[in-house]
Amino acid sequence: MTVADLDELFAPEVVADPYTYFARLREIDPVYWNERFQLWVITGYEEVVWLLRHHELFSSAIMRNSTSPPYPPVDPEDLPLFDEVREFRADQLVEQDRPEHLHQRTVVHKYFTPTAMESWRPFVRDAVAELLDELEPLGRMDVLTDLAAPLPVRVIAQMMDVPWEDRDHLRELADSILYMNRGEPYRLRPLTEGMRGIVDYAAPLVEERLDRPGDDFISILAQGEKAGIFSRHQVLVNTGLLLFAGHETTMNLICNGLLAFIRHPDQWDLLAADPGGMVRLATEECLRYDPPVKSTQRIAAEDVRLSGQAIHKGDRIRWIMAAANRDPSVFPDPDRFDIGRQPNPHISFGSGIHYCLGVALARMEGQEVFRALAERFGRIELATDEVEYQPSIQFRSLKSLPVSWARRSR
Amino acid sequence: MTRRLNVRVDHSCCVGNAMCLATAPGVFAHNDQRQSQVIDPEGESEEKILEAAFNCPTGAIRVEIEGGERLFP
Repeated sequence: MTVADLDELFAPEVVADPYTYFARLREIDPVYWNERFQLWVITGYEEVVWLLRHHELFSSAIMRNSTSPPYPPVDPEDLPLFDEVREFRADQLVEQDRPEHLHQRTVVHKYFTPTAMESWRPFVRDAVAELLDELEPLGRMDVLTDLAAPLPVRVIAQMMDVPWEDRDHLRELADSILYMNRGEPYRLRPLTEGMRGIVDYAAPLVEERLDRPGDDFISILAQGEKAGIFSRHQVLVNTGLLLFAGHETTMNLICNGLLAFIRHPDQWDLLAADPGGMVRLATEECLRYDPPVKSTQRIAAEDVRLSGQAIHKGDRIRWIMAAANRDPSVFPDPDRFDIGRQPNPHISFGSGIHYCLGVALARMEGQEVFRALAERFGRIELATDEVEYQPSIQFRSLKSLPVSWARRSR
Repeated sequence: MTRRLNVRVDHSCCVGNAMCLATAPGVFAHNDQRQSQVIDPEGESEEKILEAAFNCPTGAIRVEIEGGERLFP
């Protein structure tokens, strides 16, 4: 790939192969000023970790503080809808700074601890088995629509404790909310429909669980409202956050990880030889090598120097986990997909106070899928000549992943 | 008299999420890498220390009774 213009952050070549482009930026300066888009691009591992652990210097309240228009551009008549998107996202946990962030995170944090999430493993394992039982005789699937998208929705529906028959509706809402990360100029319409849909769907559930709480995620949020920590709007948009954040990222982990295995059959054979023993390390390497989220934003809350660069209060910053994960000063032979890699301190879940809340769930879903695939199938082949990604700077999302397989002789 | 605890933070997996500092501020503080370190294993009740360990998103906190049983993980 060649990008003649190093400021062309959104070029199709960068979407297709972010790694070559960001490695070049990192070589030039791990703290790089992009003149065209007027933002800092942070690609060095050490610099990214330092930034994330100094949350008092770098605000996460992007929607409240940034005035940049949607990119890629949207239909001009839809621009008023962007205010609705801003309002929705600005109230989500990920957009809060301290002290509010700490109070809100404390309410939901316990629900997602590694120990608490481990109790979900049998449910996740059964859900994977059920999906694969249906798919296996077909000999082919689109990993995205047949496995990677339905799995997290099943898990989230269960975490929200909603009736089984509502799953299809939730799946539709989740699909609409995925337009958050798409390039179509009309995308704000399905996106805002999905946002309103989840608010309308969750509102009566919140009402009911304020008085009769269960141990589900909506009840946890509702109790946070009762304690005066969340507003009703925050409860509703954070229900939407669970649906979105748990959906898109898990989808990408499964698709990007499986694609890496397809392109590195020697590593697939290593996993298949000992799925139970290798799957934890292998999932970490999938997360490092081609992470579900490529980059995220911050806004400088103070004037600050980072690696010799003077960042000014109010400057926009994009930190690139896809680049930090391939920093050769931390990861030997960083472009090699090596499922035995250890240590593997990738930052695909971030670092610091905003470290991914759903980390234990995401890991488990990845582990259960890769393990089940390796146990059931021999070689999995790509059933297309090329793969395409959504034109997003933030997410590393395949548009589809058609594959085929032959039954393993046992 | 309460039993003495041995509390350790594994810096190979601590990501500086800092929930332990919020839960048990008498025990945990940031080091200069903004990772958690133990400043006083007796700075909070055993209950608070175990809550901090349980809540760590990377399972970086280990708690044992001094010279004995492991309490977490």
